[in-house]
Amino acid sequence: MRLLGILNKNDTEEFLVENEGKIFIDKSPNNKFDNYELIKNRDKFIGNSEKKGKGVFNFRYGPVSAGVGQAGVFNIKTYGERILSVSIDPSYKKRNIEQLMINKTPKDALRLAESVCGNFAFSHSLAFSRAIENIYGLDTDENTKRIRVIALELERIYNHIYVITRLSKGAAQNVLTSHLEWLFEESLRTNKLFSSERFLKNFNSIGAVNFSNSNNIDTIKERIKILEEKFGELYQHSLKSWNFIDRIYKTASLTSKQAISIGLTGPSLRATGIGDDLRKNEDIYENFKAIIRTTGDALARMEVRAYEILHSCDIILTQLDKLQDETLKHHKKEQKNGAGVGYCESPSGIVAYYVELKNNLVDYVYISTPSVFGYKAFADSFVGYIFTDFSFALDSFGINFADCAR
Amino acid sequence: MKPWAIYGITKKLTENFKKTKKDVKSISGVFKSSLHIFPIDVGNDNELNFEMEALASPQYNIHRFGIFFTDSPRHADILLILGKVSENMKEPLAETIAQLPEPFGIIIIEDKNDTKTGAKNLNLPNVVGYFDKKLEAKEILSVLLNVMGREV
Repeated sequence: MRLLGILNKNDTEEFLVENEGKIFIDKSPNNKFDNYELIKNRDKFIGNSEKKGKGVFNFRYGPVSAGVGQAGVFNIKTYGERILSVSIDPSYKKRNIEQLMINKTPKDALRLAESVCGNFAFSHSLAFSRAIENIYGLDTDENTKRIRVIALELERIYNHIYVITRLSKGAAQNVLTSHLEWLFEESLRTNKLFSSERFLKNFNSIGAVNFSNSNNIDTIKERIKILEEKFGELYQHSLKSWNFIDRIYKTASLTSKQAISIGLTGPSLRATGIGDDLRKNEDIYENFKAIIRTTGDALARMEVRAYEILHSCDIILTQLDKLQDETLKHHKKEQKNGAGVGYCESPSGIVAYYVELKNNLVDYVYISTPSVFGYKAFADSFVGYIFTDFSFALDSFGINFADCAR
Repeated sequence: MKPWAIYGITKKLTENFKKTKKDVKSISGVFKSSLHIFPIDVGNDNELNFEMEALASPQYNIHRFGIFFTDSPRHADILLILGKVSENMKEPLAETIAQLPEPFGIIIIEDKNDTKTGAKNLNLPNVVGYFDKKLEAKEILSVLLNVMGREV
């Protein structure tokens, strides 16, 4: 059982937990979770216990540094070479989105869910809409499910390409980087052909999707085939560059025991040998098999992402073939009051929403994001390495301050 | 194994670019042939950060226009403020502006529907462009070319 969130309601704590692919609220858990303090303090501090000693100083990296890129701060304790401890402050991105959702209609709150993290916009949108659909008792039709799968996999593809591009750039693999950047932009353009938005926003809604681009399906198929072929070739070629591989091999290694203790999910968990993936439990994916690696280092995380890109291309092509032209219909059985959980497998792990509605307005919401656990995993895995490993360690986890700070 | 160059030879990655008119002020004639830009994330939802990454892709090939990213505001001609400003980013933003060499310009790109403080309301100096909706990479490139006063 994995702890994903702690809900504070009327001075009592309830737990958002995951067990064998199902996420639910546990009101009186018997288990004690190693990541309790991490989740409790997720808006103030993420990291490991601060190291002190002779010659040890704090190197503050961010929020305005070319190497960080996003608004956040890393406090790194070092004596000049080896990293002794890392403390991360995500508050620079804090937008209080959970509070902003209160008293909003599900439709308005859905737009806020999309703005938690622009590059995980569809994952957040899907998890939130599933929570509302569970409250409403709404079952989506097969076509809607397929379109959502395609959008989720498109999001996975461009995020994974982005992560591998960052790793390549960090290792000064300029030619590879340039080709990957080309693929990245092409994948954003494919998103637009499919959903009318480069970041798949304003596409999903409660119980349905706003799909109006069926004329583009053949073009999208062609683009996905090209992407699969070119990425596959580039990736195989990149593995021949020892300069590149040397920078990520055995860098920021994490054991499966550490990953479980942190509550890590997604490709970073699968790179430690654990095949957890929420998609395994969705019939629509048809015999889904999670991609795993066992070494738990930055190279393993990259390998998992690379093969997931190819796998996602196959999933998209399969689902596109099965799409039907029929107009999407759904019958709303709106419940004005109730509570529901919704979740999905985002590019970097589990995104989960717990939502309570009162008079069909959001009364309470809790968002669990994969980046919280990812930053902790980064901090723990980076200890003992040197600062030049920073970008490889951080980028290989595919995490974002926007996702973490909400 | 095919050599790297195969894509570059068989297919041109760089595309022709047609500039569109954008409502911006020009800073100085000295930026007509080159412009160094420093983007700062002040609390956006990452979409604009990703558009900046896309801007670096070979399709746009911004170097051919003399546009370059810098790693420090001290080397920048243009500060691109991405998003509305979170409380904790107000001070780092002010410090970043203080580091810019003269002459410089500031371009603000934010989503008017986002929460927090719009950078437009912070009375920042030398604002040469303000956009109240998120721009795609190609639109950002048009903005920069308009600031430069460069014909494409």
